[in-house]
Amino acid sequence: MASMCEATTRVLPGAAVIELSGEVDGSAAAVLTDAYQRAVTPDSDPGTVVLDFSAVDYINSTGIALIVSVLARARAERRKVVACGLSAHYREIFDITRLSDFIELFPDVDHAVSQLTGPAA
Amino acid sequence: MTQVARPKPRRLDKFTLPSQPGNERLALARVAGIVKDLGLSEARLEKLKTAVAEATMNAIEHGNKNRAEIPVEVEVTQNGDEIVVAITDQGGEAHLVPGQPEEPDLLKKLDGDQSPRGWGLFLIRNMVDAMDVTTNGQQHTIWLTMRTGGAAHGEHV
Repeated sequence: MASMCEATTRVLPGAAVIELSGEVDGSAAAVLTDAYQRAVTPDSDPGTVVLDFSAVDYINSTGIALIVSVLARARAERRKVVACGLSAHYREIFDITRLSDFIELFPDVDHAVSQLTGPAA
Repeated sequence: MTQVARPKPRRLDKFTLPSQPGNERLALARVAGIVKDLGLSEARLEKLKTAVAEATMNAIEHGNKNRAEIPVEVEVTQNGDEIVVAITDQGGEAHLVPGQPEEPDLLKKLDGDQSPRGWGLFLIRNMVDAMDVTTNGQQHTIWLTMRTGGAAHGEHV
C-alpha cells in the first residue's frame, strides 16, 4: 500500500524536528522510521525529538502504535519526545491513550522549539 | 396513561466496501457526510469518524482478512436521538480469541511487555456512547451508538 504520509527532518541545536504530513497509519511505518533515522544521527544526537503533526489530517490506531514505537526507541536512547500541531481531537486521543503522559504537547512548532531552547540570554 | 410514540428507526444509508486496507477512510467520509446535519457537535462528529474508521479497519483486517472480494457492510440508522452505525464483516468466529483481549497499557508497550498495537477496540469504546458486538457464527457486527445531544466518555460539554 502506498504511503500517504510524508516526513521531513530539521536538525536544530539540541533538537530534531520531524514534520509529518498526510496520514499517519500503517503505511507510514517506513516513512516514520526513516525520518527518525535521519533526525537522530551520531552527529546530531538530539536530546529531544519534536513530532510536528500540523499537516497531518488522519491518525489511526496503527499510527498510534507507530508513535508508541518511536517513543519507546527514543526513551531507550534517553531522548525526550514532544509533539505539536495536533488538533483538539487528536490531543484527546493522546490523553486517552496516555501518550500525553510521556510526550509533552505544544500548540505549534515555534512554541515547542522556544520551550526547548529556552529564552534568549 | 398517555404514551409517547417513539419514532421508528430510520435507515439513513447502507453500503458495502471491498476489504482492502485504507478503505476505512471511505467509510468514515461517507458516514460523516450522512450524519453531519443531525446535531452532533464537531468534536463528537470527529469521535464518531474515528470509531467508524477503527471498526471498519477491524472488519477488513480481522474479519475479512484483507480479502477484497469479501465486502464490509455499513448501515447508518437514526433512532430518536441516537445515531447507530453497524459495521458487519463475514469473519464470524474469527474475531473470537481465547481469553479477554488485553487492555492496552502504554507503560507495558514502552517496556516491550506488550505489542505497540492493539489500540483499535480501546479507541472505539472511548469514542462513542455505546459499543456492542454481535456474532451469528458467520457474520460479526460492531454497533456504534452516538447520541446527538450527549457527551462521550470524559467529554466536557
